[in-house]
Amino acid sequence: MLQRVWALALVTGKEGIRDRSLFGILLFALFVLGLNVAVAGFFMRDLGKVTVDMNLAALSFAGLLLVFFIGINLMAKDIDKKTIHLVLSKPFSRGEYIVGKYFGLVLLVLSTLTLLLLFSSATVAGVHAMYPAYFGGFTWSVYFWAVAFIALQLALLCAIVVFFSAITTSSFITLIFSVASYLVGVTLEEVLFYLKSQAAAGEVVASQTLRSVLEVVAWLVPNFAAFDLKTEAAHGLALEPVRLLTTAGYGCGYILVLLWLATLIFRRREFN
Amino acid sequence: MSEIVIDSLYKKYKPGLFKKPVEAVVGLSLRVPTGTVYGLVGPNGAGKSTTIRMLLNLIHPDKGEVRIADKSVSAATNADFLHAVGYLPENPYLYDHLTLRELLRFGGQVCGMSAEQIAARIEALTRQTGIAYALKRRLHTFSKGMRQRAGLCFALLHDPELVILDEPMSGLDPLGRKMVCDLILHLKQQGKTVFFCSHILSDTERLCDRIAILDQGRLVREFEAADLRAFRAGERCLEDEFVAAVEGVH
Repeated sequence: MLQRVWALALVTGKEGIRDRSLFGILLFALFVLGLNVAVAGFFMRDLGKVTVDMNLAALSFAGLLLVFFIGINLMAKDIDKKTIHLVLSKPFSRGEYIVGKYFGLVLLVLSTLTLLLLFSSATVAGVHAMYPAYFGGFTWSVYFWAVAFIALQLALLCAIVVFFSAITTSSFITLIFSVASYLVGVTLEEVLFYLKSQAAAGEVVASQTLRSVLEVVAWLVPNFAAFDLKTEAAHGLALEPVRLLTTAGYGCGYILVLLWLATLIFRRREFN
Repeated sequence: MSEIVIDSLYKKYKPGLFKKPVEAVVGLSLRVPTGTVYGLVGPNGAGKSTTIRMLLNLIHPDKGEVRIADKSVSAATNADFLHAVGYLPENPYLYDHLTLRELLRFGGQVCGMSAEQIAARIEALTRQTGIAYALKRRLHTFSKGMRQRAGLCFALLHDPELVILDEPMSGLDPLGRKMVCDLILHLKQQGKTVFFCSHILSDTERLCDRIAILDQGRLVREFEAADLRAFRAGERCLEDEFVAAVEGVH
């Protein structure tokens, strides 16, 4: 079983890595990282924070482009072009197919992110060497933790892509649902916090129905904001191990549930 | 043992939300004994590919059952029965960015073959199908005929007992067609079961031990050894029988 999953993951990863769109995404990310070196001097006191923030944002954004444009395509192409007929005619269970494809996407994300991390670390180190006085609280360990959590966030997003690919028949619908899930997951925590603070301050509050709907959505959609450690990395704040463990557990749990649901649905699916 | 038994198979498709369901396969029953070359012919939309997809559990029948080597395909909880099956789809779409060698290696790995076995089979099959020169080329550079050959290698790599081919001659030039015919005859000599559908009646007549004509999802005629001998001797003509059988339904 593991051999089959690994073989499919490797093939999926290779397909993604050899996709020309990847070069576009890499070039864009490298341009942003390079730009960071060029404009770093404009930010004076906040130079260290801006550098770290900009680097992490570039990694995260490149990862999002990768998952939304190459990842979805890798899943959809198999079904649209009927390559899946060829794959499922081999001794693959539907579950192995889902897990293999998922790990292929994760492999693609991780290898791209590793490459970008090398450039990003060089950028941060370069700016740090040029303006050491403005990197007071910066520590590499927090920076790498932030990158690791970007990777986990993207791995969760890959699971969302796999889940929606398993239940929909169109790559466009998968894209819409995946982007919507990401946007809701990134902003919902803030929206709920705002509504609660409104209520606490005695201001005009949203209806109970709306709040209940949002609470339900908050349970359904993963909280992507939880994986964002940019602020901590930019300000050099200490990270609590409990928080790291809980967030990692939350992300892995969500991934497992999504893959399990995707497998259940995919087993019933027909391929005409 | 790789006998196929298709028992009262029914399949309906719903082409759209408010559209009437289309009957793709209606009460189809067939038996393909081990070691037989069985040809399924019929006009476009007759239900040939649907039948093949039900054999592979890619789609599920509404009613009826498919059994391969006495095991129910539809009730299979895992894909173990596919170890004995090799499948070539009509117009095989392969992983574009892989080389042919990478694709075939993938096919061997998922079938649990060792690296040495894979290398030997790649060597033999690509030579047999005349595509060994393209092993290092990426699949997106392949012509239709080359894809068909690559698909054949992928289907046969793990030396399956049952080979299912959907329009194996599609997109091939006369040399390619001859190669596929020779390959099917070679499989027959090895005692493999071959189940294929095709529009090319002359090849089907030449290769098969049994032929079935499918139209509008129904089995309208089945020819056995004696009929095929008569076709080959020129006493009867498969094309005429085909036209008569299909026009009789319409």
